[in-house]
Amino acid sequence: MKEHYIMNRTNNSMAFYKAKKVMLLAMSLIIFSQARAQQVLIEAESFIDKGGWVVDPQFVEQMGSPYLMAHGLGVPVKNASTEIQFKKKGTYHVWVRTKNWVPGDWEAPGRFRVMINGKELKTTLGTMPGWSWEYAGTTAVKSKKVEIELVDLTGFNGRCDAIYLSQSEEQPPNDIKELAVWRQTKLGETTAPEKEETYDLVITGGGLAGCAAAIAAAEQGLKVALIHDRPLLGGNASSEIRVHTLGIYGKFERILKMIDTEHYPNGSSEAKIDQEKRDRNVKSFKNISLFLNWRAYDAVAKDNLIQYVDARHTATGERIRFKAPRFVDSTGDGWIGFWAGAEFSYGRESVDTYGEAWDVWGELWSPEEADDFVMGSSVLWQTEVLKQPQIFPEVPWAREVAGDHSAIAGEWYWEFSRNDLHQIHDAEEIRDHMLRAIFGSFANAKKLEENKNHKLQWVSYLVGKRESRRLVGDHIFTFKDVQEYTKFPDSVVMEIREIDVHFQRNLRDASQPDFLSKAIFYKTDKYYIPYRSLYSKNINNLFMAGRNFSCSHIGLGGPRVMRTTGQMGAAVGFAAVLCKKYNVNPREIYTNHLKEYMELIESQQWPEN
Amino acid sequence: MNDEWEEVSKDMEVFTVTNKDTLINHNIRLLSTKEGYPRLFFADLETPVCADGECRLAKIKIYWNLLGNYVGYGIDPDEPLTKFEHDPFDKEDYAKLHALLLDDNSVLRNREMSELVDEVPVSISKADFGAVDGISSATKKEIKESVVQGGLYSCYTLWHLVHGEVKKNISAYLQSIYTDSLNNYLLYSDYEDYQYYGLKKLPKEAFEKHFEQVIRIFEKTQPLIRTYILKKIPNNILEDRNNTEQFYRLFSRTDINTKTQLVKKAGSAHLIALEILSGFSSEMTKNQLKLYLEIFNENPENLTPLIKSNLLEAARSEKYAYNYLIKEFLNNKE
Repeated sequence: MKEHYIMNRTNNSMAFYKAKKVMLLAMSLIIFSQARAQQVLIEAESFIDKGGWVVDPQFVEQMGSPYLMAHGLGVPVKNASTEIQFKKKGTYHVWVRTKNWVPGDWEAPGRFRVMINGKELKTTLGTMPGWSWEYAGTTAVKSKKVEIELVDLTGFNGRCDAIYLSQSEEQPPNDIKELAVWRQTKLGETTAPEKEETYDLVITGGGLAGCAAAIAAAEQGLKVALIHDRPLLGGNASSEIRVHTLGIYGKFERILKMIDTEHYPNGSSEAKIDQEKRDRNVKSFKNISLFLNWRAYDAVAKDNLIQYVDARHTATGERIRFKAPRFVDSTGDGWIGFWAGAEFSYGRESVDTYGEAWDVWGELWSPEEADDFVMGSSVLWQTEVLKQPQIFPEVPWAREVAGDHSAIAGEWYWEFSRNDLHQIHDAEEIRDHMLRAIFGSFANAKKLEENKNHKLQWVSYLVGKRESRRLVGDHIFTFKDVQEYTKFPDSVVMEIREIDVHFQRNLRDASQPDFLSKAIFYKTDKYYIPYRSLYSKNINNLFMAGRNFSCSHIGLGGPRVMRTTGQMGAAVGFAAVLCKKYNVNPREIYTNHLKEYMELIESQQWPEN
Repeated sequence: MNDEWEEVSKDMEVFTVTNKDTLINHNIRLLSTKEGYPRLFFADLETPVCADGECRLAKIKIYWNLLGNYVGYGIDPDEPLTKFEHDPFDKEDYAKLHALLLDDNSVLRNREMSELVDEVPVSISKADFGAVDGISSATKKEIKESVVQGGLYSCYTLWHLVHGEVKKNISAYLQSIYTDSLNNYLLYSDYEDYQYYGLKKLPKEAFEKHFEQVIRIFEKTQPLIRTYILKKIPNNILEDRNNTEQFYRLFSRTDINTKTQLVKKAGSAHLIALEILSGFSSEMTKNQLKLYLEIFNENPENLTPLIKSNLLEAARSEKYAYNYLIKEFLNNKE
């Protein structure tokens, strides 16, 4: 058995502690001494055996860390466990960073306990609103080797970010900024990752756009890093979210067929077949270095050029600095651009900003005054019918959202947006709202005799976003480009699918559930997106592909579907190839090398063989 | 529509529309009061409905309001609408057709007839949309639920007649006869779509003059129109204590999106807005509360004793999930 070491850098002591059976170097599990008191901080996501708990890294920017979640669809999940070494025996106070994800006048839905060396601490956790350290009690550590387990009590999304054991009574900080500093200190992290890797192109975000960009660039010989925060590629098309890919292939049929999906119903388990295809194809490229389960957390620009992207492993906490002459932001939320200082937009522009009026729909289409009524996020789900009756628990904490709505399956229109919620900053609340909608509606359906054999088969815990930050490029793609079918000299993406903009049903009828949407379709012939919408206006070595490309709210309505975003990715991948060839930045491909670029793209529409 | 019918005594042909599928011209008529005030648009339609290779004329009288929104239809009992195999519509079928025609965003909106069925005629139950590519199962289900069983062709034809070119033409015609008094009629009517149109046409500077009606609309209307009012209302109106009070007293009875708008506007409204909101703080979402408290971080002088006392009460409320945010806020202020 391999032995790994956990390094203690507190007080520069550089002492080493042995931790057997640890399969990965767990930088985030640190034991350290401060004066007389012993303290141990355990990041839950680095637990050796996660049991039935899942790693949720979606909300790191808001709450500080990936966390473990007991997503058991109402059935308590198997314990997560880990083993740590203590230097000093004695009595330890135990704090757990968690939250009651539905605070209210009912028993908290995500309750769990901590078990230490087989003994369950009596305090039930997951009961306080907002992310905070909940005090679990004290434990007597009698041996150096201690096993810690998380015991789920409900199966309804209890969550644990970290566990802190200390001989001191001092509670860790709750304030998010103080906590970040505290964490960094406790984990002994330096400002910069110690590991550094260099590539021709660093792509962050492994949805359809990122995958297509990686393939296009790699095929042409670039050394590519593809950083993705999930174990599976595909983003909204992955078998973890299960939205089918829509749109046309444009010039990139050969590449996009490696990663797209069949037209199965949204939420279908058939997504797994396409998942295998996508993962297999992307992994087959030798010069794509795939960093699955790595989430970028910073990007720094100097003189309007991104110098590096820093990323962290979502379970082990290990960090790498990725360097490259050029970067692609296919994160969907425009994080790379945001961190690097790229111009971006969010929300619905006023109707006059780009002249996007459509009288038929007025304010629902484009408002007189800008606002935040953006398209919402979805959480898909499925049920199965078994031969025996199935019990589903009471979910009083879901009633406030679900009301009397009853359902046995979800679809695209299970979607949530509200003007006090930001699709990025409040994504956890949005996801949780959808979980309440789903569990509540299903619980209502289960009260009907006809559904007695129905069982929840699958509910995603990943929030499928439609709209978030849009990075600003040299061209902002708008409704007018569709209406006028503008043919640009640099038309690299094309689409025939209608503009499809959503609004919440309760805007027109307050009695409707707030988690259901309606679509407004604007029918169109073929329209084009220029290359100039795919690189940043002010960060000179940044491409973007996917829903964070340069467009208006209405401009996003059509090309937000995934074959189209895949086209963007491929277009960007090929541009990066010429950028390397001439050692130029993305803009110069348009200004100086457009003919060659368009020829390269044109040559892609036929299979090589 | 309520009693417009009774007022109507004039009937005038105003324009003709051509159905692009059948190439039949339909005359659209304006019904007005004896004083000449316009009230409804109307068409006595005859359009072919085909089934089993045999076509019959469907005869139907359609009524639109002044904005071109469908309001109702009439059928001669001796000439009922027909569905698959020319069976007559029953009572439920007529009700379903009415509901379908009321839905301006029907799933039929962007579909060609040829997309819905392989060949016309066919009943929905037979086609079951199984072989139709490009239509998701959710859409198929929605189509099936919204149209009369076996009456897809009739429903499709009539929906597109009602919501097609006619609407655009009515809208253009209304523009041609638009006057301030017509706008007042719309603004002061009981119909939401009329009120909304009236508000859209109302210049910002005229909001003060019509304030009482604006508040009446705000109180009862749909969230979309409420948020529109709050966006459009000039700031100077909310500098007045009485006006502000009228809006903010309704906080508790408005929808969640409107509440956010009210909180957002409170900082620039009369101070009474902040005082009233403090009494409703335990009804706010987390982000609404954060927005509200942020106003006092920016302008601490607005934190009056009354507001502080109301916040203290909310902080003590065991039932309010976000009371801890108020506690933190008040602790920081001490």
